[in-house]
Amino acid sequence: MQIKKTLFSVVLSLQLITAVGQEDDLFSLMDIPETTEFTYATFKGTRIINAQSNETPGKGVLQYVISHRFGSFSNDYLYNFLGLDIAQIRMQLDYGVTDRLNIGIGRSSFNKVADGFIKYRLLRQTSGAEEFPFGLTLYSSTNYRGARYTDGVDHFLSDRLSFHHQAIFARKFDESFSLLVAPSAVHWNLVPGPNDPNTTFHLQIGGRYKITNRLALTGEYNYGSNYEYSDGQRFYAPFALGVDLETGGHVFQFHISNTNAMSDPLWVATNPYNPLDGSLFLGFNISRVFTVRD
Amino acid sequence: MALLALTTSAFSQQYLTREATLSFDAGSPLEDIYAVSESASAVYDAATGKLGVQVLMTSFQFKRALMQEHFNENYAESEKFPKAQFTGVFQGGEAIGQLTIHGQTKDIAVPCEILEADGSLILNAEFPVNIEEFGIAIPGAVADKIAKDAKVQVKATLKKRA
Repeated sequence: MQIKKTLFSVVLSLQLITAVGQEDDLFSLMDIPETTEFTYATFKGTRIINAQSNETPGKGVLQYVISHRFGSFSNDYLYNFLGLDIAQIRMQLDYGVTDRLNIGIGRSSFNKVADGFIKYRLLRQTSGAEEFPFGLTLYSSTNYRGARYTDGVDHFLSDRLSFHHQAIFARKFDESFSLLVAPSAVHWNLVPGPNDPNTTFHLQIGGRYKITNRLALTGEYNYGSNYEYSDGQRFYAPFALGVDLETGGHVFQFHISNTNAMSDPLWVATNPYNPLDGSLFLGFNISRVFTVRD
Repeated sequence: MALLALTTSAFSQQYLTREATLSFDAGSPLEDIYAVSESASAVYDAATGKLGVQVLMTSFQFKRALMQEHFNENYAESEKFPKAQFTGVFQGGEAIGQLTIHGQTKDIAVPCEILEADGSLILNAEFPVNIEEFGIAIPGAVADKIAKDAKVQVKATLKKRA
C-alpha cells in the first residue's frame, strides 16, 4: 500500500513537471522552422551606375530608365550651364518576362547607338535553411552604331555592331553592403587597324553601402585588357561614384564619373576621358517601374 | 491509477497549426497594398487558454514583387526582424497579450473567436495595427498611399496535438 502510494505521488509529480514544462514550451511549438529565402535587393537598380547590377525587374514589370550625363568640368563648364547644354541622353525600356529573365531596348545619343539586351539570373543567393553564397546573372547586349562614319569608306551594317557579354557575380554581405565582380568581354566587328584586338576583356567591380533604408552610396570601376589602338587613340578605365535614392516606384541615381557614354561597349572599352585632366561628368539615372501584368 | 493520470495528460489540450492564413491590408484609395501568408503558425492550449500566433515576415506574398521587396527592405526590415508574433491568452472573446512586430512589443487586447469543429479549433481574428506604433517609419512621399492602420486578419484551423 505504501509503495503504491509513493508510486502514485511520483507519477503525479512527474506529470506536474511535464505539464509545467509544456506550459513553457507551448509558445516554442509555434516557432517556424527556418526556410530558404532568396536574397532580395542586393542593389536598388538594375544598374549600379553604368555597370549592370545582378538585379532584374520582377515578372510582369515594365521599367523605363532615363539617363543623362552632363558636360565635363573641363569643358567650359559654366558657359555650358554646368554641362547641361551638352548633355548626353539614354532612354531604356525593359521588361521582366519572368522573375529571372529580363529583355530590353535602349537608345543613346552618344554615337547614336541603339541597343538590345537580355539579362538572366542564373543563380540566386539564398539564406536560411539552404544557403547559397552569391548570385550569378548573365548579361548580353548587342549595339548598333547609328552615327555616320567620317572615314569616307562604305560600311556594312555588320561594321556598326558591337557586343558586350558579362557574368555578374554578386553577393549581399549584410543588409547594407553588397559587392559584385563581373568579368566581361567586348567585341567590336570593326576596329581601327588589323593588329588591334576585336575582343577585349574587362573586369567590373561595383559595390553599394546603404546609409538608410532608402539611401545608398554606390561605386564602380572597370578594368580593361587593352586601351591603346593603332590609330593613336588612348582610352581610360571608367569609374563612377554615386548615390542611390529610392522612393516607391522610382530609383534616382546621381553620380560623378569619367565617362559620358552610356551604351555598353563605348563606356566599357573606349572611354577617352582621363579624370586627371578634369574630365569628370555629373549624371543621373531615373527609373520608373510599371506593373503591367500581375 | 497511474494509467488514468497519464491519459488525462495536458498534452491532449494543445492545438497547433503551421498553415494559418495571416493577411494584412494597408492599402488606400491610391494604392492596393495587400499581402497574405499561408504559413503562419498558431498554438492554443484549451486547458490554460494560452494562445500564440507567429508569422515570418518574408512569407508574406504581395501581388507585386517590387512591393514585396520594399516591404521587406524598407518597412518590416525582415533581415533584422524576421518574425512577428502574438503571445497571450484567449479570454472572454478576446486575445489578450503581447504583439511583437518590427522588434517592438505592445500590449493588445483584440476581439477573437475560437470555435470547435470536428475536433479541430477554428480561430478567427481581425484587428487594426497602427504601423507607426511599431516603429515602422513611413516617408512623407508615400504617406498618402499607405493606411495608418493596417487591417490584420488571422484565420487558422488548429489540430489537436497527438
